[in-house]
Amino acid sequence: MRRMNCNTITPEEFVYAARDFIELSNKYFDSWTIHQNDNEILNTYIKKEEFVSHRDENDKIFLYRAEYIIFYNLSYGVPSFSFNLWDCSGKLLTLEQVREISLMKISKEDFYSVVTQQEHPVMYRPYFIIHPCHTAKIVSAFRYTSRNLIITFLGLITPLIQLNLPLEYGL
Amino acid sequence: MANDREVLREIWDGKLPICFQLHQEEIMEIQQPDPFYVMVPRLSYFPLVTDKMKRHFLRYISQESADNEMWLDYNGQPLKWHYPIGFLYDLFCGNDPQLPWTLTVHFTKFPENILLRCPNKDIVEAHYMSTVKEADVLKHRGQVMSTMQKKDHNQLWLGLQNDKFDQFWAINRRLMESHGDNEGFKHIPIRMYSDDGICCQRLISPKNNDGSRKIIQQLLSELYPDKPEVKLRTHGILIPLDTPLQWLSEHMSYPDNFLHICMC
Repeated sequence: MRRMNCNTITPEEFVYAARDFIELSNKYFDSWTIHQNDNEILNTYIKKEEFVSHRDENDKIFLYRAEYIIFYNLSYGVPSFSFNLWDCSGKLLTLEQVREISLMKISKEDFYSVVTQQEHPVMYRPYFIIHPCHTAKIVSAFRYTSRNLIITFLGLITPLIQLNLPLEYGL
Repeated sequence: MANDREVLREIWDGKLPICFQLHQEEIMEIQQPDPFYVMVPRLSYFPLVTDKMKRHFLRYISQESADNEMWLDYNGQPLKWHYPIGFLYDLFCGNDPQLPWTLTVHFTKFPENILLRCPNKDIVEAHYMSTVKEADVLKHRGQVMSTMQKKDHNQLWLGLQNDKFDQFWAINRRLMESHGDNEGFKHIPIRMYSDDGICCQRLISPKNNDGSRKIIQQLLSELYPDKPEVKLRTHGILIPLDTPLQWLSEHMSYPDNFLHICMC
């Protein structure tokens, strides 16, 4: 698959960055894992599961199970970030609940224009997906300077979504 | 350009008779509710055409369920509202037509692992617009959608929502134009689904390597060299094998600008 554009990456470049990222993750004792399908390069993704806590205005602490998946978005030719959060009874959080625990104070309208629930193109189930249309700009700005595109990409998502990233990644 | 207006009109006017039945578990009254019959546009989405049906069944269900999100199933399989109605029918009943299409209505036990949440029509609009954008990224690197004004985006959505062909196509025709000196899109926005509803996405060019226009037959031998018998269905019809992909994309795409095709 050829792409003439400099603000997109090929699936091969994504897989290369993903493998490199997993090596770093292992080195820094972060827990990302890579999932590959021998027959289908487009189904390659990296995943992390963890528990996250959130303190509300009344200082009450809530615990959630989180799953993050980074996959290759074929239409946009960029990495895409997707996630789900479950409460302690195993119920999937709604978009509004996700917004409430976001680290950023962000209006409903702005948040909804960036994060939407979609049928995941690789997992075939509902996930919240961060809209990829701004990622292309990031890719073109950092593709030749970034140590690893996925790290750069993650650094831009962390304000929106609570993500524990070891500082050693060099964000 | 989408020039075959008769074809566009025919596709737009496609309708399906639906019979909605309330699931037995939901009925809280002694009197059984009548089924609810309605003709719906194939190109529309269930949340846009089910307000009346919902009101019809509301008085038969428990008070607590009344504010829950309604969802539908066919033969025990939840229906994904984010796909056009006609596509869902082709997927489930394409090989074995059943009219009216009988669907079951639920207000409880929302299958959150299968269906996207749809609390209101704004969510349908957001989903629709993001799919159109994605299609435009494939066709024109997103240039048409990004140069359109907000009111054009609105007109596209309102045209679909209110079943106004002229209003919709006044804007949609711009999304169907080819750019630059070459005839055709960069890639064809196409989603092909096997009968389990799993979709395989590929970057598909409307042309062969030698520059000639690609027809369905060539697409199939490219994607499924080991399945010579596979047939493709969309809008209730089998696609002739000699149909050029570019023409198909311009005329047979759903309003979200994707071709949604069932393999059978």
